[in-house]
Amino acid sequence: MASAPQSSRVEAGGSAERLRDLLMRQDLVLLVIFIAMIGVFSAINPRFFSLPAAANILQDFSPVVLMAIGQTFVIASKGIDLSVGSVLGLSGVVMALVIRACNEAGYDPSLTIGLGLLAAMAVGLAVGLVNGLMITYFRLVPFIATLATFGAAAGLSLVATGGVQIAGGPQAVIMLGNKAYGGAFTVPVIAVFVVIAVSWVFLAKSRFGRWTYAIGSNAFAARGSGIDVQRHLIKVYMLSGLLASLAGAFVYFRLGSGSPLSGRGGELSAIAAAVIGGVSLHGGSGKLGGTVLGALITTAVLSGLIMVGVEPNWQQIVVAALIAFAVGIQSVRGPSAGGTS
Amino acid sequence: MKLKLKVLIGAAVVGLMSAQAVAQDKKLTIAFIPGIASDPFFKAMEIGAKKKAEELGITLIWQGSASEYSPQTQLPFVDSALAQGVDALILVPTDPDSLQPSVAKAQAMNIPVITVDTTVTDQSYLTSHITGDNVDGGKQAAKTLAAQIGGKGEVFIMSGSPTGTTNVLREKGFREELTANYPDVKIVDRQYAYSQPATATSAINTALLKYPNIAGIFAIDGTSGTGALAALRNSGKVGTVKLVGYDAYKVQVDALKEGVFTALVAQQPGREAELALEYAKARITGKDADKIEKTVVIPNVVLTKENLPETEKYMYAQ
Repeated sequence: MASAPQSSRVEAGGSAERLRDLLMRQDLVLLVIFIAMIGVFSAINPRFFSLPAAANILQDFSPVVLMAIGQTFVIASKGIDLSVGSVLGLSGVVMALVIRACNEAGYDPSLTIGLGLLAAMAVGLAVGLVNGLMITYFRLVPFIATLATFGAAAGLSLVATGGVQIAGGPQAVIMLGNKAYGGAFTVPVIAVFVVIAVSWVFLAKSRFGRWTYAIGSNAFAARGSGIDVQRHLIKVYMLSGLLASLAGAFVYFRLGSGSPLSGRGGELSAIAAAVIGGVSLHGGSGKLGGTVLGALITTAVLSGLIMVGVEPNWQQIVVAALIAFAVGIQSVRGPSAGGTS
Repeated sequence: MKLKLKVLIGAAVVGLMSAQAVAQDKKLTIAFIPGIASDPFFKAMEIGAKKKAEELGITLIWQGSASEYSPQTQLPFVDSALAQGVDALILVPTDPDSLQPSVAKAQAMNIPVITVDTTVTDQSYLTSHITGDNVDGGKQAAKTLAAQIGGKGEVFIMSGSPTGTTNVLREKGFREELTANYPDVKIVDRQYAYSQPATATSAINTALLKYPNIAGIFAIDGTSGTGALAALRNSGKVGTVKLVGYDAYKVQVDALKEGVFTALVAQQPGREAELALEYAKARITGKDADKIEKTVVIPNVVLTKENLPETEKYMYAQ
């Protein structure tokens, strides 16, 4: 039983190792960029180098990194998930509606929050399942399948709310989202770190991760080696949906209300974070550490630009330049390294 | 026999009369095309319009783009309303020039047009234009905020986007009022939320770090307001930083009661819609047509915790 997967792993080992070396360096490059960025911003405005500023960045970073982790799995399987931003919005408002209803019915606050969280997660899993089924059984390309759910989920959140904010949660919700331990770590932020750790194990150390890479590098070969590709891909999209719904829950806790407009454009931030982190859109590669750094850099830079007083309209141009730069060095290095070894 | 005939004639006359009455009372069909159907502001307008339509016995066609505030997405709705041959068209033009041809088309078909909230460049054919006043709203916000921070200190503007005309006008009014009458109030920065409450939250959190002396914030639209609420709770500055918001959705009024918002500038979307329907009916039937005003500016109302007992009725329906 162990022998077949064992051998395929060994075969894949050579190229995986080369890739790993490459991506190791991408990690390092990103770390250098990140530290340099912090240095520059702090030099211009010392207030940037402070605990409250870090706490602020962590709040921005969390939803992006959650979606970006899902994206890392999806892109490693040679797919793309455009629905994550809309799933963030939809799961946030469903959570808000459930919590409001439970609160009005007089349920205990922790039960209320738990039920809301479950409802949000159910939304993410359901959208992920639909994505997976469309891609595997109906043979839609991931771009189109997830573009469809992107629109549907965005529309549903407007239908469900009538376009308005949904508040009406118990005070405990606001406490949970805003009470920081050690100055920066709210319960949702701590939970995000746990998710990052679990996802890292999932991607780097488990069969789930190996299969994801195998399908991404060559789905045909993966099927030949006995992987149930369809089933696995469905799971990958469900994971992405689940993580996006956790991002929705995070934003809900932060704002204390659900907005149908939340998450708009989030898919692009998530893809940008993953790609900056070194995940190749060609599939079969990508490491979680890179994605986490990618998300950290893209969110910290926005906060920093406000701190140093860059005009709002220039901010997005600076971020775009940063993306081009981070991905640029990666692809300049990529082909030559691939050619030599 | 004679009696029978009389009864018959009588019945026929009554029948004819009632038939005529039916024809006269033919239900009017009026199309109302909002800027974007999914926006809560237009939702409040829709509720006002539907209530009024029922009251006036009007068949209301409420149709608009669900996704985008733009002429490209709005035009198909306007065209199909005109093609249906409605009795009047009430329109929130998403662009003053792009919707001009639609007004010309309505004119050719002899369909009266009323614009609400925004308008078209050439208003000569319009029955009326009913609007709120965003520059005035900005001024009201400036007056209120300046008073609440004691006439001096640093303030911050959280805006929605650099292209939204309503945002731009509110900001203009806000700046004009401060420059003219409050020399000691200084605007330290302005950021954009781009429809994302969480973006507003982090922008405000960051601004509060950068400018620790910020005494007041003007949150220019609903999204900015939601973000600002979270930011003040987040940084523990509820009450110490005065927060003036725009619009009066339930969530915002609740936060006003709680003391996080210190004031709200409310428009009257429902009132705008009601008046538009009244004018449309008057224009078609000729009854009360002399009461129609060519341009109506519906005033803004400032809600504070203190005046809430009188002003809570301005909370938007949802």
